[in-house]
Amino acid sequence: MSDVVELTLPVKADLVVLARLTAATVASRANFDIEEIEDLRLAVDELCVSLVGDRSDGRMFLRFIRDDDQIEVEGTLQSGPGESGPGSAPGGLSERILDALVDDHGFDGQDGTPRAWLRKRRARQQA
Amino acid sequence: MTSPVQPGRDSREKFEEFASTGDERLRNELVESHLGLAHQLARRFASRGETYDDLVQVASLALVRSVDRFDPERGVEFSTFATRTIIGELKRHFRDKGWAIRAPRRIQELYLELGPAIEALTQQHGRPPTVGEMARAVGSSEEAVLEAIEAGQSYRTTSIDAPDRQEGTIAGRLGDIDSGFVGTEDRMLLAISLAQLPERERTILNLRFVDGLTQSEIAERVGISQMHVSRLLAASLSTLRESVVGES
Repeated sequence: MSDVVELTLPVKADLVVLARLTAATVASRANFDIEEIEDLRLAVDELCVSLVGDRSDGRMFLRFIRDDDQIEVEGTLQSGPGESGPGSAPGGLSERILDALVDDHGFDGQDGTPRAWLRKRRARQQA
Repeated sequence: MTSPVQPGRDSREKFEEFASTGDERLRNELVESHLGLAHQLARRFASRGETYDDLVQVASLALVRSVDRFDPERGVEFSTFATRTIIGELKRHFRDKGWAIRAPRRIQELYLELGPAIEALTQQHGRPPTVGEMARAVGSSEEAVLEAIEAGQSYRTTSIDAPDRQEGTIAGRLGDIDSGFVGTEDRMLLAISLAQLPERERTILNLRFVDGLTQSEIAERVGISQMHVSRLLAASLSTLRESVVGES
C-alpha cells in the first residue's frame, strides 16, 4: 500500500534542497494542498537540521513514505568511526516548530544512530 | 536550561482572564511576555541578515494576533498556537516578497505569479489549492511550480544552508533557544511603543493584522482613503520597527 522513496545525502548545506524538493514532490503527488506542502518542506528542513546538529560530514538517509492520506518522513544519520551524532532529542524551538507544522514527530538515538521522524496527514479527502 | 516562554499556570490564568475581560493592559503584558518566541522564530527564518528586522515585525504582529485569538479552553498551549500563527504569517510574508530569489528568470516570474494564483484559487475553492491546480492556473507544469516554490521560499536556510553565519550551527541555535534573555529589552520596547501609538493607528494595525481586513476595507471602516491607510500603516510599522530594532 505504501510507496517508499529513499534518498541518501552527504551532510552538505547545498544538498538539503533535495530533501525539501523530494518532500514537496511526494506530497504534491499525494494531492496535499499548497499550505500542507509548505508546512512539510519546513518540517523536513527542521528535521534535517535537528538530525545533523553541527556536523558537516557523514551521510543522511531519508525515507519518504506515502500512504493513502499521510506522509511519513524518517531520517537517520550515519556516523563515521569515532563520530557521534547529537544523540539526544533536540528540544525547545525545534520541537515547537515541528509541533506547529506536522501531526506527529519524534526522535530517538538507538545504537548510536540518531533517528528523527515526522508524520503529516492530508486534511482534505482525496477528490 | 529554561525556555524563555514558560506557559505555566500563571500564563494560563492570565489568558483566561484576558479572554473574559479583554483588558488592554493584560493584553500588552501577554504580548510582552511572549515576544521572545517571535524573536526566536524570526531569527530561525532569517536567511539574510537584512531580512531579520522585517521578520521580527511580521512575527511580532502575528504574536499580537495570537494573543487576541487564543482560546484557553481549547487545551492547546499558547506557545504551540502562537508558533503556528507566527509561522503562517512568515510563510505569507515570504510568499508576498519572494525573498532572495536566485533562480532563472522564468522561475522568478513564475514564482511571482503564484502568490496571486494561490489567493484566487483559495477564494474560489474555499481551501488552499493543490500544486496541480496552481500549475493549471498559471499555465505551467507541476514540476516548474515546485521548483519555483523552492526557489522563492528557500527561506529556512539558516544553519546547514548558511554555515558561515554565527548561529549557523545547531549548537549555536540551541544556545538561542535556551537563552531566557533573548529580546527582553526589545519586548519592553515593543510593548511601550504599541501603547504609545495614537489610537487611530492602533485601530488600523488591529484591523489589518488582527482582523485581517484589506487596506480598502479599513479605509471604508475608518472613513479615510486607502492611500491614507497605507501611509499610516507604513508609518506605524516603522515606528514599531525603530523601537524594536533600537536607536542604531
